[in-house]
Amino acid sequence: MRRGLRHGFAVLLTVVSTRAEPRVVGFERFHAAAPDAAGGRLLYNELGCVNCHGGDTGLPSRRGPDLTTVTTRANADWLRAFIADPAGHRSGTTMPHLLANRDAADIEAVVHYLGTLTRRNPAPPKKIAHLNAEIGKALYHTKGCVACHAPRADYAPPDGRPGAGEFSYGAAAFPALAEKYDVASLAAVVRDPLASRPDGRMPRIEMEGQDALDIAAYLLGITSSDGEIAPKLPHLTPDSALATRGREIVTTARCAACHTLPTVPKVQLIALERTTGGCVDENPAPGLPRYALNPAQRTALLAYLADRAAPVTPAQTVHGTLAALNCVACHERAGQGGPDAARRPYFLGDHNLGDTGRFPPPLTGIGRKLQPEWLAEAMAGKRRERPYLATQMPVYGAAVANLPRLLATCDARQETALPAGDVAAGRKLLGTHGGVSCITCHRWGERASLGIHALDISNLALRLQPGWLRDYLINPGAHRPGTLMPSFWPEGKAANREVLDGDTDRQIASIIAFARDGKGLPEGFPATSTREFELVPGARPIVLRTFMAEVGTHAILVGFPAGVHLAYDGRNGRPALIWKGRFFDAYGTWFSRFAPFEKPLGESVVAWPAPSEAGGAQKFEGYRLDAAGVPTFLISVGGVPVAERFEPGETGTLRRTLTWKLEAMRSLALTHPPGLTVRESPSSIPGQLEFIYTWP
Amino acid sequence: MKRILPLAAALIATGISLVATEGYEIQTILTGSSPTSSRNANWKPGDGLTLEVSGMDFLPDGKLAVAIRKGEVWLLDGVLGAPDKVRYSLYASGLHEPLGVLRDGDSLLVTQRTEVTRLRDTNGDGVADEYLTAARGWNVSGSYHGYAYGPKRDGRGNFWVALNLDMGDRSDNKAAWRGWSGLMGPDTTFLPMAAGLRSPCGLGANAAGDMFCVDQQGTWIPSTPIYHLRRGVFFMNPEGIASQDRPDAPLKLSAPVPNKVPYPEALRALPEMVPPAVWLPYNKMGRSGTDLAVCAAGGKFGPFDGQFFVGEFTDAKVGRVFLEKVGGEYQGAAFPFLSGFASGVVRVLFAPDGSLLVGMSSRGWSSLGTRAYGLQRVRWSGVTPFAIQEMRAQPDGFELVFTAEVDPASAALAASYNLKSYTYLYSNAYGSAEIDTQSLTVTSAAVSEDGRRVRLKVDGLRALYVHELRAAGVRSAKGAPLAHPDAYYTLNRIPGGP
Repeated sequence: MRRGLRHGFAVLLTVVSTRAEPRVVGFERFHAAAPDAAGGRLLYNELGCVNCHGGDTGLPSRRGPDLTTVTTRANADWLRAFIADPAGHRSGTTMPHLLANRDAADIEAVVHYLGTLTRRNPAPPKKIAHLNAEIGKALYHTKGCVACHAPRADYAPPDGRPGAGEFSYGAAAFPALAEKYDVASLAAVVRDPLASRPDGRMPRIEMEGQDALDIAAYLLGITSSDGEIAPKLPHLTPDSALATRGREIVTTARCAACHTLPTVPKVQLIALERTTGGCVDENPAPGLPRYALNPAQRTALLAYLADRAAPVTPAQTVHGTLAALNCVACHERAGQGGPDAARRPYFLGDHNLGDTGRFPPPLTGIGRKLQPEWLAEAMAGKRRERPYLATQMPVYGAAVANLPRLLATCDARQETALPAGDVAAGRKLLGTHGGVSCITCHRWGERASLGIHALDISNLALRLQPGWLRDYLINPGAHRPGTLMPSFWPEGKAANREVLDGDTDRQIASIIAFARDGKGLPEGFPATSTREFELVPGARPIVLRTFMAEVGTHAILVGFPAGVHLAYDGRNGRPALIWKGRFFDAYGTWFSRFAPFEKPLGESVVAWPAPSEAGGAQKFEGYRLDAAGVPTFLISVGGVPVAERFEPGETGTLRRTLTWKLEAMRSLALTHPPGLTVRESPSSIPGQLEFIYTWP
Repeated sequence: MKRILPLAAALIATGISLVATEGYEIQTILTGSSPTSSRNANWKPGDGLTLEVSGMDFLPDGKLAVAIRKGEVWLLDGVLGAPDKVRYSLYASGLHEPLGVLRDGDSLLVTQRTEVTRLRDTNGDGVADEYLTAARGWNVSGSYHGYAYGPKRDGRGNFWVALNLDMGDRSDNKAAWRGWSGLMGPDTTFLPMAAGLRSPCGLGANAAGDMFCVDQQGTWIPSTPIYHLRRGVFFMNPEGIASQDRPDAPLKLSAPVPNKVPYPEALRALPEMVPPAVWLPYNKMGRSGTDLAVCAAGGKFGPFDGQFFVGEFTDAKVGRVFLEKVGGEYQGAAFPFLSGFASGVVRVLFAPDGSLLVGMSSRGWSSLGTRAYGLQRVRWSGVTPFAIQEMRAQPDGFELVFTAEVDPASAALAASYNLKSYTYLYSNAYGSAEIDTQSLTVTSAAVSEDGRRVRLKVDGLRALYVHELRAAGVRSAKGAPLAHPDAYYTLNRIPGGP
């Protein structure tokens, strides 16, 4: 054994310079360090051994890409080079070298045969109006592509690029993309990989066509925005004599074991009788498929082949499936998998939710967590519960058909049924009037949460199994490390003693009952009309600071009972907006944690020109309120104190008065907003200027 | 029957005052009627006082000035008397989320998002009529998290302000002084002093007049820390460090900020970085520290004069911190103190009578509190709880000071104490697990003659690690267990060590 290993390393070293071993990331992550039969099973499936030799790995079927369209999506020159030496031309490919004993003419014949599989008169390609590689770069690095593929050096995630040493496992390598694809064909693969690779090893991230084009442009290094000037694939006209010969070669080489080829007979399985003298050998005989297996892969395969009939537990099959499909690139399950340190920075989302706002949820106990129908739909890509995650759950197609059932079997446990719930109590608990205020953080259907934006829980009865939910609510952190969700039933004891006498199980059952059967909303959502928060000046003016568009972050609003209002810029010491009618809606200022920039509620808004970045000569010093509550703004202009006061005049006009010590300064530079009539009052004198603004 | 009823009532009273067996009871002055009654669908402007307390200070006439998040300052008269007799009057309004209020002479200083403002009532009608800018100079981007805290006065008469990092939309932490703390300077300026803060929600001076600040767990901050603020130091979060390039910066980092390394290693790599005086371990001492107040009650709040009481938001509780100076720097221990407050604790303030006022608001984040906001008051019953009063570092272990005489048999038993130490990962991630945890062996426990002190000899102390003690086996001379057997000592330096 020891000798064999050493020998194996020697072979590896000689091979590694020209071609790497086939890359099966799940093997590399979980089995390479200690190769075992489970790793061997994964390889037996993922390298396509099972397609030739049969057997039941329990894992989703691994197939080669659909070749009936290959010459429309791949450049013929690339195909020639790839078929002639797959691993030499595409590092890490799982396609074995099948034609090692063939010459260039044979390879040419195979390419022409593939050309005949394509539909004769394809629809003319759509015009590509526009490309944006910069958008493509951002999408590639944030949508989830880099969970499997390597991030590139020209993109830095907000937390900074990882060091090379932080990658604990390899990435799924690309072929030489620009040699293989044009922008349209690569975009088609990006948008729907399942169309050409139905085995789901590259899943489909749902996206717009333009997104796929932009990603393709980025990956191909196309910086021009004009899609029409990008290089296009040359057309291949198959030669029928060559194609006939190619078909014979393909038939002999048993390509149809892995690829669906409509024009060649089905391959017969080859019984496995021995484990030497075949494809697992370091140097297989001519005519046999050649995999550049590394020693760990070979050890694992031999371990598996030694006892193929050994029973497999559902848990092992689940793990193998998650490894084969690389679900573990994003999800952790039972302490295994999840993105490594190098990949974590590329997972973005809502920082207000901490790590749970960035990283996909763990799959630990997922078969017990989600209702079976929901789990199946989630796997089929029909549910996206966490819109704040930039990374999207992709669609795997038929590859995950068995997974929901397997997970349910694996994760099931003896459940104690919850008592009957009380719909009214559930409504109260979810809400904020004497409940535990779930809606402070959680969306409820169409209604946004009151605080941070955690996921929608209006569907919790459809989505979650009661037993899991109970355990989760008692100790959220145990199920989702890093969650911001506190327990309102710490150690099983209800914090709210008032609803249902603090009975934990009945409270939780009631929350489920309201979500399932209840009508209406949990209590505490504000009325949809924000009119409730309208401020109406009464006897005295209302003075209020807020953020306001066209005024800035230091806005000081003054609402007058007369229906003429002002926003003063307390940063630059200048009036910024005046308006008429209704004054202001304080909903955003008082209610929203997210401090939006506000707008006046009324009409006839007139704005002063924006100040320069550097600001003017004025410095804001504060304000004084007089006995009637009217503020006088205090500014200094070049060191001279100036008092500025606004007050409604007659019939919807506004009077502006500026007062300063005449000895200190003869005149004052002033701006008035465009779009209104300015009349200087007859009582205006140097040292006290008075203007009347009139506007419709 | 007549005799049984009062007995039942007495039993219920005992049940309610289980807290009181620890010697402290919580009295409600005013709370919201529900978790979000300040912001519920039925609430309208003018519907009454939403006491979302964000700042508190006493006036010379005994009134309590209370800033609330909605932008008002209220004066509460009679707050130390019967709660239903407290009179409320509006002093100032229209402020932009003020998060601190401090009396200064005849005026009140309040820190709004944009500036510190000096409020004065010049005509004596009980309502402020002068709102003058007192300090400014930090950037306000409009990000929701661009909070400003303070001011608080230190022993030298300086007024300290602390500025939150921006978060979310419109964030600009490269702009001036986000994540810094500093002083109100002459001519309405802001004088930056210390960098590396994230969410420095509460400031407070200790009995010696040194200024401290409580920050919160988050990116780069493994768990809630309490810092000793000084000029020219960097604490933990570098997201606002760009301001070090401004002309008036008191500090410039001399090495790159390390990332993803154990905290002691980070300290060694970055000379300007100073450790917190105390870590409040996550969950064990709560999640988000918010404020601190030093106890100077002259014994009217139990045997804890000179110690900090620390507000906590998520678990709605108050912790206790003992500090000592080792090698010229503050370090010390955190102890659980009291939980069960009505809402997320945001502000704590000692009243002249030695009781502790606790101001609360749960808006925007979740809290175990069942009310939206409020003001409560903690009073000491006069019964001294059996607690670890102080935990002091020794070259070869710790000295524990107890509030009451210990039972010598249990207290001298090394097995009555469990100790472990751990540190955190310093990284840009949100918080950190405890890492590199080791159990320590207590080799001996010697009880002093007066029975109030226990000297623990411990193998394996590690400088810069949190040392977590659980003294579950110790009993008082009267046989009582400790109300809180846990203590968390931040051993930045081992006395006599390097």
